[in-house]
Amino acid sequence: MTDAKGIIFAYNVSPDLGELVKKRTASSIPFAGRYRLIDFALSSMMNAGIFDVGVIMQRDYQSLLDHLGSGKVWDMDRKTGGLRLLPPFGLPEYHRGNYSGTIEAMNAVFTYLEEIRQNNVVLMLGSLCANIDLTEALAQHTASDADITAICSDRELPSQHYKYVADRDGVVKEAKFSGSAEGLTSLECYIVKTPVLLDIVRKAAEKNQYQFHKEAIRDFLLDGGKMQVYVHRGYVSFVRTIGEYFQANMDLMVPANRWSLFPKERPVKTKNNEGVSTFYGEDARVSNCLLADSCRIEGTVENCVICPGVRIEKGAKVKDCILMRGCTVGKNTQLRYVIADKFAQFSDEEVLAGSSRLPIVVPKESKI
Amino acid sequence: MKKKCIAMLLAGGQGSRLYALTQKVAKPSVPFGGKYRIIDFPLSNCMNSGIDTVGVLTQYRPMKLNSYIGNGQPWDLDTSTGGAYILPPYLGPGEKGSWFTGTANAIYQNINFIEEYDPENVLILSGDHIYKMDYSDMLREHLEKDAACTISVLQVSMEEATRFGILNLGEDGYVCEFEEKPKHPKSDLASMGIYIFNWPKLRKALIEDEADPDSSNDFGKNIIPKLLNEGEKLWPYRFKGYWRDVGTIESLWDANMDMLSANTLDLFDPAWPISSRNETVPPHYIGENAEVIYSMVTEGSKIDGHVENSVLSSSVAVEKGASVLYSVLMPGVSVKSGATVQYAIIGENTVISENAVVGSAPDGSDGWSVATCGPDIIIKEGAHIPAGAMVYTGEEDFGND
Repeated sequence: MTDAKGIIFAYNVSPDLGELVKKRTASSIPFAGRYRLIDFALSSMMNAGIFDVGVIMQRDYQSLLDHLGSGKVWDMDRKTGGLRLLPPFGLPEYHRGNYSGTIEAMNAVFTYLEEIRQNNVVLMLGSLCANIDLTEALAQHTASDADITAICSDRELPSQHYKYVADRDGVVKEAKFSGSAEGLTSLECYIVKTPVLLDIVRKAAEKNQYQFHKEAIRDFLLDGGKMQVYVHRGYVSFVRTIGEYFQANMDLMVPANRWSLFPKERPVKTKNNEGVSTFYGEDARVSNCLLADSCRIEGTVENCVICPGVRIEKGAKVKDCILMRGCTVGKNTQLRYVIADKFAQFSDEEVLAGSSRLPIVVPKESKI
Repeated sequence: MKKKCIAMLLAGGQGSRLYALTQKVAKPSVPFGGKYRIIDFPLSNCMNSGIDTVGVLTQYRPMKLNSYIGNGQPWDLDTSTGGAYILPPYLGPGEKGSWFTGTANAIYQNINFIEEYDPENVLILSGDHIYKMDYSDMLREHLEKDAACTISVLQVSMEEATRFGILNLGEDGYVCEFEEKPKHPKSDLASMGIYIFNWPKLRKALIEDEADPDSSNDFGKNIIPKLLNEGEKLWPYRFKGYWRDVGTIESLWDANMDMLSANTLDLFDPAWPISSRNETVPPHYIGENAEVIYSMVTEGSKIDGHVENSVLSSSVAVEKGASVLYSVLMPGVSVKSGATVQYAIIGENTVISENAVVGSAPDGSDGWSVATCGPDIIIKEGAHIPAGAMVYTGEEDFGND
């Protein structure tokens, strides 16, 4: 049995995701045609034998709860441990706003942290799009004498992020906090020895600190704490903005990215949606697309990610779009650079176009 | 716990007329329609009809079927009061034990299982039919007509009637005669092999039938005629809608092709979902130069070639320059570049190597039929598999090079 507990931060607000997070958290945004972003964190843990997982959430979590259910999909419906949903409870008055940082989020569920039986805790973002081999990361962590293993990417990522500068043995020498050319990109995913984590959270709270990376980790390193890096080599996206969300979906057209996110040996599990095969009509013209089940495609579709139950009528031209569950596109309607949220309806003979830099987001259940 | 009706699903048959496709698995677990296996249809009908207890009688190569059905969760059968139960033949103390000798014997051997539920009625299903049917409506009629047995019937043409068990009705509408494959049918009502029995009456009939050394212990041949002879009331339940027996290569291919056209079986109907157990795999990818026309494609597949009039199951690969026409590809099939598959059924995980040609278009001759490749084999590079061929190993010689 894996000696680690999982904590997933699913409270993130990510305001730059705009309409997409109006009624859901970043963690429960539909992705890659049939998944939600949190499937990556949950599946990474499941594939490493971590079945005791707490999900910290704060608001707008209905869609997340609906998706997680009992955790059965990830084998987390357990007699001991299993999936534990952690909405805010019994917070003192000053906590009433959005969690200002990971420390505050952990402090809000501190009694839960105190009960952790395992010797290690894996902390992950619910909205991180990456399939991380936590088995290997945990093995490296346990074999070393580090108190913290920071999981990093060897890639340069577009948005702002933290970086760790490590020596040849992977021991962290310095933390960089923005735009540094040096160091490895932090995926904000850590393996921490349980007593160390409790100590960090306690100390930070005493100092009124909220930020895990900016404040708590900095102080931990200043105090001479032992931290190492584990390098994740594979596809990564933070999915913090609409542009990043669009790009991450489009990145799936590249086979190497699909293999990296969905390797056979570490499958990504998600709530199973009953469905039939997707039907292609006589006039369907589809190229370079990722399509889920239960769709009916009669028109032309290019460079798109299509979620289950989408209908595209004859004569319609849909290019560079993401259509979520149940969207319908009427006859001869043309869409370009559109992200349509669930059940959006486009009637016949419409034209709607965004740009590659700024795709148009059409809210859930819109009628156009 | 007393039940109004439980179902017993006969899934033990080999399906020998599917040849290579049932070499390793029983007929009910043969893939169908892209996302399904044949047994999904009766199991989903049970789910949608509110029947929560299903005994599945297995015998021939049941491993795949056992793991597929599991706890019955995909069909909502994992409840505390009902469930899906795999029932293989078994041995009791001092018994010699035997395989199921006939459909009725299979139920006879499981009388103890049925008694556990003390049901008023038992629904007998078979695992080789593609259809959607509300068994609760059939049960309602069965009770209304106070029948010992209600037999689901389908109206067929008089020519077809010679292939079926045919029911002749009396003036009161009840069944007065049952004829197995009559040369000169008197009626066009064909038995679909779906029965609801009053359990105490069936129980008695099964025990008596078992004691008869001349009986072949079959529902159609023995139990139904026996009940008729004893003057029991047998009622025909008229089913209207799509129903196909997929026991032969041609009928399996035909029924798969039917799924492409409207007005056959609406798989999209949210009111009557057909459920299946599937691995979670990513959505399918259609490549830049691919052409997919009038076909069904599902999860995990990667299509870079030409696909037309075909039904593709999950995790299928069609490479660039490959063509798949009027064919059924089961899960995990790979069609390599330059290969052509037409008018064919390809079994699970089989590889059609580069430039191989499997099957050919109908040429109007009587001898023409669909080509079939069994599961887990490799059709060699450049091989020609003629129409109507049945490939078991990929090593066969079809008289060409």
